[in-house]
Amino acid sequence: MFRKVLIANRGEIALRINRACHELGVKTVAIFSEPDRTSLAVRHADEAFCVGPGPVTRSYLNIPNIVSTALITGCDAVHPGYGFLAENARFAEICADHGLTFIGPAPDVIRNMGDKATARRVMHEAGVLTTPGSDIVDTPEAALAVAREIGFPILLKATAGGGGKGMREVAGPDDLVAAFNQAQNEAEASFKDGRLYVEKLIVKPRHIEIQILGDNFGEIVHLGERDCSVQKPSHQKLVEETPAPHLSEAARERLYAMAISAARTVGYTNAGTLEFLVSGDDVYFMEMNTRIQVEHPVTEMVYGVDLVKEQIRIAAGEPLGFTQDDIHPFGHAIECRINAEDAAHNFAPAAGLIGRVEFPGGPGVRVDTHVASGIMIPPYYDSMIAKIIAVGRTREGALNRMERALDETHIEGIKTTVDICGAIVRDPDFRHGGIAVDWLPKVFMPKYQPAPVAAESAA
Amino acid sequence: MIDEDVHARVLALAHAFRSGELVRLRVEDDDLGVAMTRLAANPAPSATAPPLAPAPAQPVVYDIVTAEIVGIVQFARPAVIEGAVLESDRELAYVEALGIRNPVRSKGPGKIATVFVTEGEPVEYGQPLFAIDRHV
Repeated sequence: MFRKVLIANRGEIALRINRACHELGVKTVAIFSEPDRTSLAVRHADEAFCVGPGPVTRSYLNIPNIVSTALITGCDAVHPGYGFLAENARFAEICADHGLTFIGPAPDVIRNMGDKATARRVMHEAGVLTTPGSDIVDTPEAALAVAREIGFPILLKATAGGGGKGMREVAGPDDLVAAFNQAQNEAEASFKDGRLYVEKLIVKPRHIEIQILGDNFGEIVHLGERDCSVQKPSHQKLVEETPAPHLSEAARERLYAMAISAARTVGYTNAGTLEFLVSGDDVYFMEMNTRIQVEHPVTEMVYGVDLVKEQIRIAAGEPLGFTQDDIHPFGHAIECRINAEDAAHNFAPAAGLIGRVEFPGGPGVRVDTHVASGIMIPPYYDSMIAKIIAVGRTREGALNRMERALDETHIEGIKTTVDICGAIVRDPDFRHGGIAVDWLPKVFMPKYQPAPVAAESAA
Repeated sequence: MIDEDVHARVLALAHAFRSGELVRLRVEDDDLGVAMTRLAANPAPSATAPPLAPAPAQPVVYDIVTAEIVGIVQFARPAVIEGAVLESDRELAYVEALGIRNPVRSKGPGKIATVFVTEGEPVEYGQPLFAIDRHV
């Protein structure tokens, strides 16, 4: 096992990693930007070093300062969390060059899966179904040729993409040139890589992803699926759950088999997630995320596995210690992302000073957060401030618990997604289950009335 | 439970307090107990405010040289000591990181007022290394 791990992240995931390390008896070093000096992640860590000012390119993406911190503090491993450097193959190589274990898969696996066009090709070779589409298209004309072949509507996607950036839906040929230019500019600005590819737009799909774990000895297991179909207009996830409601056994078995086969084909190690679009019994591979995911807690609650600890143990060269037959899910778990955002205004970020904060508790409720009363949400970073997770023996039990947990949650001073999450969990469509990825923007948002919870329950 | 009478009285008091020059106000009777305090950061925009006190003798303001790189501090030779007068810009130290010695310069002449670090100390981004008095 490692002696000391550098946590190359901030916020709730930095705390989450710190907790896993401490439970394993491993010392931790936090890195932080100047505005994060008083953060909980810094206070929980055994040591902490400032690596730069607020803007991420000078702090949480400052590879020289981060690696130097790891070396001068005597770390032997680096956990990247999610976002920032988590899927940066070059960073993983630099860590290795300096004798630091990068807690994640091998750099070439990160590189291949991170390049979405390459990932689709590799998966295709592994016999995993992908949505009909193309390799890189250099011009709107090339995109149009592909679109005519596979049929509109299509999606233009950035090969370096993620989080919905550099992605455009195109309904027909007339919109293609403008959408191509917008997607390319956005991809260039977000990832310094403007290359796009075309994918057929699957109508009314659900977003269902499979969690896998692989050790350095060839053992690979899956830990079921997560349904992440509640997505904001920006395609960012808002509510996630496991198991996926109303998923046919045929589709479920196909997803598990494809995920294992894909992971074997690429020689995957550590924790990873394969994202699929599901439409009826049809499943299409979208992309593979070579890191821990934001929504990993729902899997942990149902499968009884600490995914972050498993990541660290695998990276330290320990065998998994269990096989697929040893894994027995129990019950249902749901997560709501609490973001500093104004849901009534297209989820615009709402950074600022937080007033009084009350988080929920009680049976079956887990809160992963780095915020507390009186702290400042800096404008430089992701707007997520907490994840509330509720578990139950049944889906209904978990949802009832989530309603209660959100009712107990009070965050003053800034706009948050607490109320909208409460309205989603109460919504009859969501309650029924099996909604598609366009449900939130197209069906739910038009009828959503931001209102105090008390007024809602009286209605 | 605040009835409308009390609500109106508090509003009236708050209004009077805000437009006046009071710093603290406390009112108590059978119906009401209220205390108000003006925060220092929010002084009354009053036309009759006293003029500012005469400025004290100009305090000495030091230039603080901070670390830009996370690493290990090594002093340049000859090592500067507190009180040393620099005739011009010179190298004061290095921050060694990933095998590279990143120079720390005085950025001009001055007197070394304080040396905040010791040889071989790990330093973080923004950590003060030297205070330099430029008024010599």
